[in-house]
Amino acid sequence: MTLLEVEALDTFYGDFQALFGVSVRVEAGETVALIGANGAGKTTFLKSLVGLIDRRRGEIRFAGESITGEPAERISQLGLSLVPEGRLLFPSLNVEENLLMGALNRRPGTWNLARVYELFPVLRERRRQSPNALSGGQQHMVAIGRALMSNPKLLLCDEISLGLAPLVVDQIYESLGHIRAEGASIVLVEQDVKRAAGAADRVYCLLKGRITLHGQARGMGLEQLSRAYFGT
Amino acid sequence: MMWVETIINGILYGGLYGLLGVGLALIVGVMRVVNLSHGEFIVLSAFIGVSLVGVFPGVHPLVLLLPVAAIAFGLGFVLQAALINRVVTRPDPFAAILLTFGVAVVMRNLMVEIYGADLRHLQAGQLAQASTGIGGLHVGVLPLLILALSVALFTGLQLLLTRTRFGRIVRATADHRDVVRLMGVNPGRVYNLVMGLSLALASVAGMLLAIRASFSPYSGVERLLVAFEVVVLGGLGTFWGAMLGGITLGVAELVGLRLDPNAGPLYAHLLFLVGVLLRPSGLFRVRT
Repeated sequence: MTLLEVEALDTFYGDFQALFGVSVRVEAGETVALIGANGAGKTTFLKSLVGLIDRRRGEIRFAGESITGEPAERISQLGLSLVPEGRLLFPSLNVEENLLMGALNRRPGTWNLARVYELFPVLRERRRQSPNALSGGQQHMVAIGRALMSNPKLLLCDEISLGLAPLVVDQIYESLGHIRAEGASIVLVEQDVKRAAGAADRVYCLLKGRITLHGQARGMGLEQLSRAYFGT
Repeated sequence: MMWVETIINGILYGGLYGLLGVGLALIVGVMRVVNLSHGEFIVLSAFIGVSLVGVFPGVHPLVLLLPVAAIAFGLGFVLQAALINRVVTRPDPFAAILLTFGVAVVMRNLMVEIYGADLRHLQAGQLAQASTGIGGLHVGVLPLLILALSVALFTGLQLLLTRTRFGRIVRATADHRDVVRLMGVNPGRVYNLVMGLSLALASVAGMLLAIRASFSPYSGVERLLVAFEVVVLGGLGTFWGAMLGGITLGVAELVGLRLDPNAGPLYAHLLFLVGVLLRPSGLFRVRT
């Protein structure tokens, strides 16, 4: 079943158009990578999906239901969860409270506080600490955990490898395997092409608000990806 | 001996000043809005108290605290939902300031229309004069009650914010208004409830203050000033700081009055000035 269908999405910040006719598809159980340089429109795309940007044209369908005009509060209850760029954890709350915030929209499923602590054991040790006391990688874990707490059908990850040491990124990406195993579909937005393409089934490439490449991740050449990424 | 009593009474009334300010501190902390009509709502609550006393003459004003607080909660909710929520998302803080200033002016004139410009007083009967001996000192019963109530309300507020699900949601909304939408929270609704709470707290302070001092529709500015000083002196971001700020001002005012009976609240204001000059970020600032 096609979990997410985006058709000819145009998104605007005021009068400035950021996305031009973007069409993306995610099947249930898939991991799809969306790659592109800084400013290509990747975060804008994710924000449009979850309802944080008002001005848009085109159709967005999630689990068969049209969510095109819906506000973020409503969309969040349908099983679409975002790990925002920059983590955006709540500094006034401790780690555990941050995770619990993610459970406000809890749908039935396997993810709960205990399971998240199983996935990221270091968070259990630090659960009463402020997120500011955690390392970058640990903060990413909290952000991912928070998004998991609602048991999403589709997890949108915005640059979860940004600013992290390679070993830490390995850890994060390993956790994605567990998340996938529990049945969630994933959209990975990354600047790191190799990582994202390596973890995904299919890849889309975004350049200046337009899709420049789309296909199976396996067998996609670096040449091809480069051209689509940089627009040369 | 008299000095000790004065200081103690200052502490007790200081709790009241803290209560005047904590509602304002809540709004500033959660939605970064300075509600310039805060003082007018404090005065309005006292007028509503007076009206209710007129309707239920046998009832002691302290019993009326609850219904007045409930009414104030409703007013705050509506104020936020109908007006302030329209400007709270703008990056420019002036819109909210101008809006609440306008609300204050309208309210003041409405109160003059409805209640007249005369000075009023809430009668607390015997309670206002009663004093009790504690360790050989004469301490007013009413001030003791007021302090107890203030501490109870402050503690209740702290517990609400730190130990409940609602408190978590409020703190998270204060941190990142957009991100909470991703969790199904409507920030506007959170603000409605917080503003209701703010004015409910202010109304309790308003009623208690009306027992101690007389008021008119024009008293709002004075009340706002105290609330402001309490919040700034205590330090933004801490509620117990507001309580301690209030106590500091209360003591300063009563000690000052003893030294110089014509001074009015001058010494409290002077202390505030000195405090802000020496420690601009507040006496008891908490790391944000």
